[in-house]
Amino acid sequence: MSEIESVDHKIISGIPGNSGIAIGNIVCINNKRRKVLPKSISVSEIDFHLNNFKDGRTALVAELSDMLEYLDAQSGSIIETQKQIVLDSEVEKRVESMIKDELLSSDFAVYKTFCDFIERLKESGSELFRQRIVDLENLRDRFIDVICDDEKSFSIKKGTILVTKELSPAELVTLHADGLSGLVMEKGGITSHAALIAQSLEIPCIVSAKNATSKAFNTKGILDGREGLLILEPEKEMLDSYKTKLKKLKKTQKRLLDNINEPSLTKSGTEFFLSANIEFESELNQLKKYNATNIGLLRTEGLLFSNKTEFDDQIRFYESVLSSTEGSVTFRLFDVGGDKLNAKIPEEANPFLGWRGIRMLLDEKDLLETQLKALLICAGKNKGRVKILIPMVSVEEEILQLKKIITKLQQDLSNSGHKIDNKVALGAMIEVPSAALNAEKLTEHLDFMSIGTNDLTQYTMAVDRGNEKICSLYQQQHPSLWKLIKITADASAKTNTEIAVCGELSGNVLGACGLIGLGIRNLSMISNAIPKVKEELISHNDSEFKELAESFLAASNTKQIKEKFEDWRVH
Amino acid sequence: MIKKKITIKNSSGLHARPSAALVKTASKFTSDFFIHFYGYKVNGKSILGVMTLAAEHGAELELEFEGSDEKEAMKTITELIDNKFGLKDE
Repeated sequence: MSEIESVDHKIISGIPGNSGIAIGNIVCINNKRRKVLPKSISVSEIDFHLNNFKDGRTALVAELSDMLEYLDAQSGSIIETQKQIVLDSEVEKRVESMIKDELLSSDFAVYKTFCDFIERLKESGSELFRQRIVDLENLRDRFIDVICDDEKSFSIKKGTILVTKELSPAELVTLHADGLSGLVMEKGGITSHAALIAQSLEIPCIVSAKNATSKAFNTKGILDGREGLLILEPEKEMLDSYKTKLKKLKKTQKRLLDNINEPSLTKSGTEFFLSANIEFESELNQLKKYNATNIGLLRTEGLLFSNKTEFDDQIRFYESVLSSTEGSVTFRLFDVGGDKLNAKIPEEANPFLGWRGIRMLLDEKDLLETQLKALLICAGKNKGRVKILIPMVSVEEEILQLKKIITKLQQDLSNSGHKIDNKVALGAMIEVPSAALNAEKLTEHLDFMSIGTNDLTQYTMAVDRGNEKICSLYQQQHPSLWKLIKITADASAKTNTEIAVCGELSGNVLGACGLIGLGIRNLSMISNAIPKVKEELISHNDSEFKELAESFLAASNTKQIKEKFEDWRVH
Repeated sequence: MIKKKITIKNSSGLHARPSAALVKTASKFTSDFFIHFYGYKVNGKSILGVMTLAAEHGAELELEFEGSDEKEAMKTITELIDNKFGLKDE
């Protein structure tokens, strides 16, 4: 790629963040370090500028809080610190004094205050602390952006391709609503939050595009997300060829989307059900697009990260989800480690083998009971549509304890005059090998099981997918996984217990075909994976799927499984 | 008013997160809290103030408390610093 770059500065290359093609006007934001000039104000303007500072501060804190929804605990604590800096009492004192006593405008007062602190840090000469300067400068610039809200530095029209240094998840969601068609970022990897959200919103995206903001300018351009290229001022032939590609892509998408309205039947006429995994309210409008009536996995952790665990907040979120569809919604109870709670707990040596999921919930009774109560009330109002899913079950006792709590809560609710659903379905995540191996026994207490293939892979292969040194061992399609899934599927068939799969494996064409072959008919996935999975599932008959699954079980390694699938697909 | 000398024990010093923890704890008390270091005096309830001290591992600070709950504040803050702010050493 570097060769092309050197001969043609009209091409900017990076790492593909999300495939797809966008043709449109480029808007390049080169967020340079801000220089804010001193502006004097009159006495009559003091109040205006004091309010301006306070309103800006409130808006910035709200923006930071919103970001917490998308972040893990580590990044979350960085944002919490930023919030503290924004609300710093010394900052307030100095800014207000500059506005009142020195008659300076609010943006300059904020600028000067931060610069003074930054200067002090620079003087300290400590290398470690110098690294913090960039963070403070970014925060200062964002603060000033927010204060100068009326002078927004850029606006986007429908179809815009945005080139920028970086973008927060919250900003990306807003831009998507404005009609953003493509995104190029200088920073971030393919697993950065903005890239993941681009994938879920289906925005073609390039990440790690070095110096993109200094090379790009506002003109017409083509973004090729699959190759990781942004082409500026394309020649006519190039443009035509991409227009044809885009047309083809749209045609394929249309064909896939047309399939969406076809009945979900294999060639043998066996019905299957594709449902959606949902985390944020902003994803709910995708349900109709992909004709997904059921939500097979609703993650509720977002409530925890944004501190919305109050009973009323929970009811509001659950009702909003239930009203977006007529089908059933599988609510997974808070699935986090103890580190995500405010409780002071000692750091764990192995958090993924530690106090998390149902293990944590059974100890945190208030948290658990508030969530269950909110869900049970929603279940009473929406009979037959609320399903409750227990995360990280490893032994039978966890299910029994939870059932006891549910029974008692149902009794209390009924006594206090609430409508309840006596048959509210209870299921367990099968994501720990012990649960898979013991599935048949567990079904005695369950209405359904849902296999979480991501964690099941992690625990079966004993691999942390975030660890770069060993992440190649994270193989969701490994024969050992298929064996555990088969044990669970057989247990479900034998005891007539409903079974679903809600991990990444079900949104993968190979995975989905194998799962259908093992007799699993309920697959829940990221909603934009539904079209391609459906296309494959309606194209084969049951015996072909069965044969494929048997070959997976007989394979010795993941490579063989992939080869078998390619063979099977073309024949 | 009471004063106490103390040494920073965590390896990364008073960087962002330890500063955040320190300020959060200090803000729970009504007493005024100042930190003296190398001739600087900063408000111990201001995270930017604390951060700009750039106090590294081994730095000797003087803590100053004044107010109705000064003794309790001093005890709590001393413990926090001695316990390396409850953060894992990085």
